[in-house]
Amino acid sequence: MSALLDSFWALLALKLLVVALVVPGVSMVIIYAELKISAHMQSRVGPYFAGGRWGWAQPLADGLKFMQKEDLVPADADRPVYKVAPMIVLAGTMAVFVIVPFSPKLIVQDLDLGIFFALAAGSVGTIGVLMAGWSSANKYSLMGGLRAAAQLIAYELPLVLAVVGVVIQAGTMSMVGIVEAQAQTWFHVGDFGVSLPFALQGQIIGFGIFMTAALAELNRTPFDMPIAESELVMGYLTEYSGIRFTMFFLGEYAGMFAMSAIASTLFLGGYYFPGLDSEVFGPVILMGKVGLLVFLMIWIRWTFPRLREDQLQSLAWKWLVPLALLNIAVTATLKVVF
Amino acid sequence: MTVSPSELAERVAGIVGSDRFSSDYGTAKVRVGRDRWTAAHEALKAELPYFSWLSAIDWASEVSVGDPPEEAVEDRFEVLSCLGNTDDGAMVVLSTDVAKDDARIDSVSGVFGGANWHEREAAEMFGIEFTGHPNLTKLYLVDSFEGHPLRKTFPLLSREVKPWPGTVDVEDMPSTENPEDAG
Amino acid sequence: MTAGDRLSMHHSEVQVSVELQTPDMTLNLGPQHPSTHGVLRLVARVDGEVIKEVEPVIGYMHRGYEKLAEVRTYPQITALVNRIDWVSGFANEIPFMVATERLMEIETPERAQYIRLILTEMARISSHLIFLSSYPLELGASTPLMHALRERERVLDLIEGVTGGRFHPNFNRIGGVRPAAGAGSAQKKVSQDLPEGFLDQTRQAMQHVRDVCDDMEDLVLGNEIFLERTKGIGIIPPSKALEYGVSGPSLRGSGVGFDLRKTDDYLPYSEFEFDVPTGENGDCFDRYWVRLEEIRQAARIIDQAVDSIPSGELQAKVPRIIKVPKGEAYVRAENPKGEMGFYVVSEGGRGPYRLKIRSASFSNLSVLPWLLEGQLVPDIIAILGSLDFVLGDVDR
Repeated sequence: MSALLDSFWALLALKLLVVALVVPGVSMVIIYAELKISAHMQSRVGPYFAGGRWGWAQPLADGLKFMQKEDLVPADADRPVYKVAPMIVLAGTMAVFVIVPFSPKLIVQDLDLGIFFALAAGSVGTIGVLMAGWSSANKYSLMGGLRAAAQLIAYELPLVLAVVGVVIQAGTMSMVGIVEAQAQTWFHVGDFGVSLPFALQGQIIGFGIFMTAALAELNRTPFDMPIAESELVMGYLTEYSGIRFTMFFLGEYAGMFAMSAIASTLFLGGYYFPGLDSEVFGPVILMGKVGLLVFLMIWIRWTFPRLREDQLQSLAWKWLVPLALLNIAVTATLKVVF
Repeated sequence: MTVSPSELAERVAGIVGSDRFSSDYGTAKVRVGRDRWTAAHEALKAELPYFSWLSAIDWASEVSVGDPPEEAVEDRFEVLSCLGNTDDGAMVVLSTDVAKDDARIDSVSGVFGGANWHEREAAEMFGIEFTGHPNLTKLYLVDSFEGHPLRKTFPLLSREVKPWPGTVDVEDMPSTENPEDAG
Repeated sequence: MTAGDRLSMHHSEVQVSVELQTPDMTLNLGPQHPSTHGVLRLVARVDGEVIKEVEPVIGYMHRGYEKLAEVRTYPQITALVNRIDWVSGFANEIPFMVATERLMEIETPERAQYIRLILTEMARISSHLIFLSSYPLELGASTPLMHALRERERVLDLIEGVTGGRFHPNFNRIGGVRPAAGAGSAQKKVSQDLPEGFLDQTRQAMQHVRDVCDDMEDLVLGNEIFLERTKGIGIIPPSKALEYGVSGPSLRGSGVGFDLRKTDDYLPYSEFEFDVPTGENGDCFDRYWVRLEEIRQAARIIDQAVDSIPSGELQAKVPRIIKVPKGEAYVRAENPKGEMGFYVVSEGGRGPYRLKIRSASFSNLSVLPWLLEGQLVPDIIAILGSLDFVLGDVDR
C-alpha cells in the first residue's frame, strides 16, 4: 500500500479520482440545498418525492433526466467550439481544487504559488463561457458571453487585489501556509493564546470585496446578467441541452464550492478551528465554513434583483478596486509598522 | 360626475363651432364636419388634453353579419374620437361622417400622438384613409390580409361555415333567421 | 483642397473624424420572450446599448372581439368581455353591463352594485398583486413572486366562492348579478346569494393582503438594487401621458390624480373613503409604488363595503329576451390597468350594432415607441414591465 502511495503517478491518479468524485458529489448537495433553501424562503416545499424522503434524490434525478435529453447543436453553430465549451468551464473549476487544502495532508498539491494558481485556473471558465456564447450563433447567447467577459475583466481585479491583502499578512501564497498563519497565536489574553482568522484580523473589507467579486465571477444574482433569464433568455446557455447543459450546471455549483473553499481558506481559517485537531477534523471544519458561505450566496440570490451591466461596472471600478487598493496599502503599512 | 353631460356637450359644441350635439345616456356627443375634424381637435386640446380613443362605425342598411338596423340608415362611416380631461372627468365623443366612396379624413395623430395606433386600427378594420398619418400600415392583421373586417359587408366566415349551435341556445342568435328551438 | 492647403491650415481648423463607423443592429425581442408577458414583439434598432427606434408589433393575440360582438346577444357578450384582460376578468364586465343597463334604463339593485364593487376591487387586488410579483421577477428577484401569489390565491378563492370562476366569472347579468354558488337546481334555490361566511373571510383576506403589501414594501421597495434599476428610469411626463391616453396607475405614477372611481358614477364609489395615490416623477419606481398603494386602498374600500352592504334583491326585473332600445352610450370604468370603456351602439336588436372596446393596455402600450427612444437596452425590460399590460387587453 505504502509503495503504491509512494509512486507519484499512482498517488496523483488516486487524488484526481477523489477530486472527480467529491466535487460533483458536493455540487449535488449544494444544488439540493439551493432547491430546498430557496423553496423555504419562498414559502414552498421544494423537492419532496424523489428518493422517498424530503426529495433528497432530486439533483440525481435531474442529472439523469438531462443525460437522456438529446444533445442539440444549432445548425449555424461552430460545432467544435460549441461542444468543447462546457468542458472548459467544468475543467477550469475542477482545476481549482488542486490547491484547496482539506487538512494539512489532504491536498492534491500544496503549490508555493497556490492562491495564484487558483485565481488563474478559476478565470479559465470565463473563456469557456465566451466560447459558448460565440459559437451558439444566437444574438442573446453572444450578448451573454460578452457580458460574462466584461464582468470577468471588471471583477478579476478586485478579486486579486482582495487576496493580496491576505498574502501580505500571511507572507506566503501557499494555501497551507495561509491556514497555518491564521492558526498561529495572534495575541495573548493572560496565558490563553488567541488565534483569529484573517477576516477578523483586519481583512474584513478584503473578505467583503472577495465575496462580492466571487458572486460576479460565478454569474450569480445580483450579478447574473450573462444568463439573465428575463432579458437574455439564459444568455450563453440558451442553446445548450442534455449532458452539455448539465456540465454548465454542475460547473456553476462546483464553482460555488470552489470559491467558498478558497474564501474559507483565505479569510476564515480553512481547515483550522481552535481546539480541534486539523488532521482529523480538517475536512469537516472546512466543509462547515464552505456551507456557511454557500448559504450566504443562496440567500443573496433569492433576495436581490439583478443590477444593470453599467451599474455593475461602476460598482467594480469606482468602489471595489479603489477600496481593495486602499486595503492593500493599509495592510502593507501595518505589516511594516508592527 | 361633476359636469353634467348636457352642459359639457353644449360648451364643446360652442368651442368647435357646431350646432349638432346630444347627451343621451350620459354620453356627451358633438358632431363636427369632416373638414373641421383636425381643427376641432386642435381647438379642444387645451381644455380636453386626455385622448381616450378613436374608432369608427360602419352604417349600412344591409348587413352580412348581425341584425340590420330596424330603420334604414344613411350609408356612411362615422368616425368617433373620445377626449376628456382629468380635472373633473369631463368626457366628450366627437363624431363626423365620412362617405363610403370617398373614405378619407385628416389624421389627428399630429395633434394627439396617441391617435397614431387608433387610426391604424381604424384604417385596417374599416378601410378609412387617414391623410397625413406618418405610418398607416396594418396594426393587428398580417400584411397579406385582404378586406376590412369590421365593415358590415365583411362576412364572419366561421359563422357561414358552421352556424352557432343555435339548437342548444335558449334564444335565437342575431344572425339566425328562423330559430328551431326556443327553449 | 490640395495637400499644400491642408498643411498650411492651423491645427484647429483640421477636422479629424475619430467617430467609429458602427452600423446599427436590429434586435428582435419576442414574440416569444420571457419579459413580454405573452406574444408582444419589439423590433429595436440599437446603436451599441442605446435604442434608436423601437417598433412594437402587436396583433398575435387579436381575436376580433368587436366583430364577434356583432353576432352575439348582450348576455353572451359578458363571456367575451371578461377575456379581454384576463388578469382581472370580473372588472371587464362592469363597464359593458353598465352601458347596456343605461341604454335599457334599468335601475340595478343596490346590493348587486355592492357585490359588483367588492368583486371589482378584488379583481384589482389580484391584478396588482400579479404586477407586484412579476415586476421584480423581470429585474431578477424571484422571491416576491411567491409571496404575492400566495395572498392572491386567497382573493381568487373568494371570487370563485361567489362566482364559480377564478378568472372568468361571467357573473354579471343585465340588471344585477347572479351567483352560481351551489350547482344543482335544488341547491340553487337556497343559495342564490353570497356564500356563507363570505364577509368574514373577506375581512381576513384583506388583512393578509395588507400584510403582504408591507412585506413587499420591505422586500422590494427597500431594496437598493431595485431602486437603482427603477428610479429615474422610463419617465413619462404628464402631458405625454395624457396625449397618448395613458390611464390608470401608469398615469397616476406621472402625478396626475385622475381616477374614474372618483369622477364617474358607474358604481357607488362615492359612498366610500379612499385616496388616489399619485407618484412624483413618473418613473418605473412611481408606477410600482402607486400600484402597491392602490392595493391598500382597494382593501380599504372592500372593508367598508363589507361592513355596509345592504340586503335586498340581486337583480332588477328584466325581460326574458333582452332587446336594447336604439341609442348610443359610452361607459368607462377604472380597471386595474386603466380606463376600460365600451361604446355600445344599439339599433334595437338583441345584439349591439357596433361595440367599440377601449382597452387600457392598448393606449398604455402605444406610448412605448416614444418612451424607449434613447434608452438603454437593459432598461427595455424595466420599462416594459412597469407599464403592466396584458396582451389580451392590447389586442382584444
